[in-house]
Amino acid sequence: MTPKNNIVIGIIVALLVIASYNIDANPLDFAEGIPNLAIILEEMIAVEPKYIPTALWAMFETIQMAFIGTVVGVVIALPLSMLAARNLNSKFVYAPIRALLAAIRTFPSILWAILFVIMVGLGPFAGVLAVIMYTVGFVAKLQYESIEAIDSDPVDAVSSIGVSKWQLIRCVVIPESAPHLLSQILYMFDYNVRQTSILGLVGAGGIGFYIINYIKFFEYGKAAIFMLVVLVAVLIIDWVSVKIRDKFIMKTQHGMEVTTK
Amino acid sequence: MKQIQMTKNPSFSLISTNKIIQLNDVWTSYDSKTFALEGIDMSIDRGTNYAIVGKSGSGKSTLLKLLNGMMIPSKGTIKVDYVTPNMNDKKFKKMMHTIGYIPQSLGLVKNITVLDNILIGALPRLNKLQSLLKQFPESEIKEAKRLIELVGLDGKETRKAYMLSGGEKRRVAIARALMQKPTILLADEIVSELDHVTAREIMDLIVDAQKKMNLTAIMVHHDIQLALEYANRVAVIKEGQKILEIGVEGDNIVDFQTGDMTNAEIMEMHFDDSKK
Ligand SMILES: Nc1ncnc2c1ncn2[C@@H]1O[C@H](COP(=O)(O)OP(=O)(O)O)[C@@H](O)[C@H]1O
Ligand SMILES: [Mg+2]
Repeated sequence: MTPKNNIVIGIIVALLVIASYNIDANPLDFAEGIPNLAIILEEMIAVEPKYIPTALWAMFETIQMAFIGTVVGVVIALPLSMLAARNLNSKFVYAPIRALLAAIRTFPSILWAILFVIMVGLGPFAGVLAVIMYTVGFVAKLQYESIEAIDSDPVDAVSSIGVSKWQLIRCVVIPESAPHLLSQILYMFDYNVRQTSILGLVGAGGIGFYIINYIKFFEYGKAAIFMLVVLVAVLIIDWVSVKIRDKFIMKTQHGMEVTTK
Repeated sequence: MKQIQMTKNPSFSLISTNKIIQLNDVWTSYDSKTFALEGIDMSIDRGTNYAIVGKSGSGKSTLLKLLNGMMIPSKGTIKVDYVTPNMNDKKFKKMMHTIGYIPQSLGLVKNITVLDNILIGALPRLNKLQSLLKQFPESEIKEAKRLIELVGLDGKETRKAYMLSGGEKRRVAIARALMQKPTILLADEIVSELDHVTAREIMDLIVDAQKKMNLTAIMVHHDIQLALEYANRVAVIKEGQKILEIGVEGDNIVDFQTGDMTNAEIMEMHFDDSKK
């Protein structure tokens, strides 16, 4: 190890200690807190089973919000990504669109949720709007990056036929960037389910609303049950996405025979 | 310049002396310091199969890009059917609909089927609504299927392009170009990477289609033997200049640019060049 590396490591450790002191983070507190988990477990077992359907229903609402947000967000993001791609547009078109998308992405979805709660009131609708905003900012960026990365050979060859811009997009750009799109949508949906689970903290609907309320009233057992439901739902969605990805993407990218019938 | 009479295609001299392509002292540069082409003169009769050969970097691909307006010359004039090629020009853009250009990379759309790739050639004929919905009329689909058969891809119309062999990909690119109902076909080293048998199959296919449709084909080749076998005329390009324009006459190879020459001399000139 060079002296220079030692200095860097020393600085990082010093910063870590200072920051921990400032935010009052003490490893001993963490160790002392571990037995509290047992209390939560005890409380969880004591929770009446009638809360489980409520938890499932709240999770279902959360997933629906994430679903609507993802679908609508993607539908808005796609045309924007076409306009933001440098290889399809002039600077005067892509530069403002990119700036807009970057601005949208600066806010995490929870801040969008607060904004929409103020605008449209408490409830799932505000949450859906927040998910849409976040999805637009993110999917549009992922998509214009994959459009810019497509092979320029077919674009040049088809342009040389003298086709229109729309025909070029429809027949070359979309098919060439589509394999990435499916995996981006799945990733986004997965991510949105997790996001939506906490939007309830600011009153924007979904399962987080229950969790925050139980915590407020010190009903940690119930809160933990609801969190467990989120965990299981996210795991299931993760597993299903992997299956879908394998079925549609692995095959098209590794040149295996895909049966069309 | 005297009119040639090819033993392979005796009908060509009867068609017309109509010059479909004319280049006059054409210079072009990518970096405005060095020239990729230096004073090219060229004149091609309608219906000809014209070949361009020369070693790598001599300017062959550049010449094709000039002919379909993807590049414009820094000096000199080019006329394709009496229009100056320039892809940003409205009048020429219309003409591009009927110039089939097959780049060396082929430019197929990998993730779509053979049929969809070929239908791309018909895009300029769609009306606004059809192109909005990407809906091809039945007659175009029928034509695409006819071409699939013509190029020998029967049964592969739903195959994705990336799953095809090198020879099959070239057949798709040819069918896409023919789908344009072209008057001119430009092909850049379309058979260079293929084995001899497949290369000849593809060349036979093109020459056949070319005769049937009275196409003017301008093809870049790597192999001068193959070029002489199939083309009416062969232009040899060296370092951006056209040094020979040869063709087979009876049993002899004749240079139409610098006067008569014997076979041996011409072949020597080229092979000397390619050894470097
Ligand atoms: N896109 C480009 N940018 C700059 N120089 C280029 C480009 N394409 C080709 N050239 C140069 O122009 C010359 C002719 O190239 P090209 O027409 O591709 O030759 P060929 O097809 O005969 O191999 C070469 O010196 C090459 O380096
Ligand atoms: Mg080349």
